[in-house]
Amino acid sequence: MDLTIAALQEAMEREGYVCEEELAVTVYLALTLQKPLLVEGAPGVGKTEIAKVLGRVLGAEVIRLQCYEGLDENKALYEWNYQRQLLKIQIMKDAGGERDIEKDLFDEEYLLARPLLKAIRSRERVVLLIDEVDKVDEPFEAFLFELLSEFQVSIPELGTVSARHVPVVVLTSNGDRELSDGLKRRCIYLYIDYPDIDKEVRILRMKVPEAGERLSRQIAAAVHHIRTRLELRKQPSIAESLDWARALVALHADALTADSFTRTANLLLKNRADHRQVLERPTLDGILGATGTEGEAGVCACGHHRPGRGDSW
Amino acid sequence: MEEDAVARAVAGAGDDGGLETIEHNVARFVRILRRLGVRVSGAETVDAVCALSRVNLLDRGHVRAALSACLAKSRQEAAVFEQAFALFFTTPEAKAGQRERYREREERNGRLRDAAQGELREAVGRWGRDLSVTGEQLRTFAMLPQQARDRLKDVLRRVKANGVNDAGHLVSMILQSSLNYWRYHMMKNKVDRGEDLSGIEAELTGDAESDEVIRGVAAAFYRHPEDRILHRDLEGLEEADLPRVTALIGRLAARLDLSLGRRYQRSSRAQAVDIRRTVRRNIQYGGLPLELRYRARRRKKPHFVLICDVSASMARHARFVLQFIYGLGSGLGNSESFVFSEDLERTTDYFRHHRDFARCMTEVVNGSRQWGKTTNLYESLRTFRRLYRDAVTRDTVVFVVSDGKTVAPEAAAALLGEMGRRSRGLVWLNTSPRREWDKNPAVRILGAVVDMHECNTLARLEECFRRHLAPRV
Repeated sequence: MDLTIAALQEAMEREGYVCEEELAVTVYLALTLQKPLLVEGAPGVGKTEIAKVLGRVLGAEVIRLQCYEGLDENKALYEWNYQRQLLKIQIMKDAGGERDIEKDLFDEEYLLARPLLKAIRSRERVVLLIDEVDKVDEPFEAFLFELLSEFQVSIPELGTVSARHVPVVVLTSNGDRELSDGLKRRCIYLYIDYPDIDKEVRILRMKVPEAGERLSRQIAAAVHHIRTRLELRKQPSIAESLDWARALVALHADALTADSFTRTANLLLKNRADHRQVLERPTLDGILGATGTEGEAGVCACGHHRPGRGDSW
Repeated sequence: MEEDAVARAVAGAGDDGGLETIEHNVARFVRILRRLGVRVSGAETVDAVCALSRVNLLDRGHVRAALSACLAKSRQEAAVFEQAFALFFTTPEAKAGQRERYREREERNGRLRDAAQGELREAVGRWGRDLSVTGEQLRTFAMLPQQARDRLKDVLRRVKANGVNDAGHLVSMILQSSLNYWRYHMMKNKVDRGEDLSGIEAELTGDAESDEVIRGVAAAFYRHPEDRILHRDLEGLEEADLPRVTALIGRLAARLDLSLGRRYQRSSRAQAVDIRRTVRRNIQYGGLPLELRYRARRRKKPHFVLICDVSASMARHARFVLQFIYGLGSGLGNSESFVFSEDLERTTDYFRHHRDFARCMTEVVNGSRQWGKTTNLYESLRTFRRLYRDAVTRDTVVFVVSDGKTVAPEAAAALLGEMGRRSRGLVWLNTSPRREWDKNPAVRILGAVVDMHECNTLARLEECFRRHLAPRV
């Protein structure tokens, strides 16, 4: 692909990622300046998806490092294959070759490459996804500095390993904790907020086309109302609005009604208190009012169902 | 936006001799961002120039996105960036207009300050004393309604000297206190009316203490509504904010609870081999330890004791602190909570029965005789030592939440010192701003024996609990 901003935006949309030009410019800069892309935003707004889509757009393998509290270099970078080393010792002992054993033991053959090293040593350019980097401890974050600025790592027994191809690095953060200035400084920064109604409709139309324009717009309006007007413990993410749309389609709903909302709310609201709050009558009426729903029922997406007596949605 | 901080910063940035290269413009823009509190390093500035070389400079959207990606590294910074960009990257005519307005405003302010100074000097003239008020205080006086100005001048004229007081000093103190009050009051009214206070940013006085407040208030207005609450003094939260505050505290507490509630944690420290399980596992290989087994690091649930001041000066803060504790739910483990003012009472059981918060708080308040009284930390700690001494062990973190306004601070400090030695740590979360600590002798005395932290916002509250309850494995 001839990399231009427009081409990148188009390719990302083709791969199912609805994005505006600003996002495309930021991703384009990360690619052309060969800098890591740090994506922050609430859970479920499509941060991780950027890396996956980039993998498809660039035809590159996505190598993922899932971060968690206590993640260490052994799990992220490399480990020596202890079992193979031990077996080698036994074999050499039996064959009487103890003298050569030491230099052989720390050969690349015995190296277990973990995601970071895999990305550095890859013969092809890869997309390295460092997911939820805010979960790691600060010392590990500092360890990432060398990798992200020099794209090289040091293995004491082997020396410095430099990247054959500078990987496309995407770091994501839910903002659980503030990342260090050092890490931010090395990255191109992108904040993804919840989408506005129009963008969410586009996402819904792309991912759940069977929902139809009308239902998609109602879902987007309802979710937007919930996010902006209600104080919930957990705001519904894009992923949840997609699940919700699929559930409504599965129930052959063509419009959002109090009944269909109540029956499918579990897919949207993942907290008991939130669930209770949203389903209270005035609140629910407010949400339905925002969607412009009059509570009427039409023909469902499959075109074969029309609710009648005893066929409620 | 002509009154806002960004406009002033932009207008005040000058034009560096008319150089209009991309590099100069970026450098000037970065200088403005730094004035507005956005931390931009040299490396990021270089990145920004490089980024501009990769985008279409005739496309405003491209330029904005490129600079934003390199210079603004958080949501808050992005909000400041947006305002600054809109004002800086504009037509020369608009820029000239901004500068002209800035100059006119400065002249007008200068005239107002001169007039206010003359008026005040006349009012305190008979004490033969120079005005020791800051520029900001003068400006505050100039902005007062005529009635308030007359009343203040009247008060100053009626001050009478006696043999004990230095009347000139007294007048000066009254004047400064009054102007500080008015300044705070006027700012608060602006906040209540939802007005943008960011304009205060550039009206810095040179007085470090005032500037700190001004910057803090101004910065708050760049933030997302939730962040504004998160970083705002709990004392300043309004009734209208309460639903949002309640939801926010719930989320913060739930997040902390989740992290405290994990039973195991991987550690970056060297793992310990579990010999028994390793031997058993490797019997099949003739005893050759091919597969190592490690000890799972059982994580101790944090154990803490909370001692929360619910005296009159602390009632509002206490509500939020207790709400936070309530929200910890299972994260509470075997922790204990107490409230105190004249004496101390145990409240642990109120938080254990999974009732809704409103009911829980009603019971805490109704069941306690401490709310809204004066503070006697010494008596409270004596009660604690007598009845609940065993609640503190070597694994316990003790949190004391108070503004430190207590009687008998020396005696209380001795008991706190003893408690600190018996615990894993004794942390004092002081709800008054750090700059006011020096004015309270009790805080100085207590601060010598405890680890004292400023904790007047929800953000700080969460941070303090998270940091001090960090798990031990």
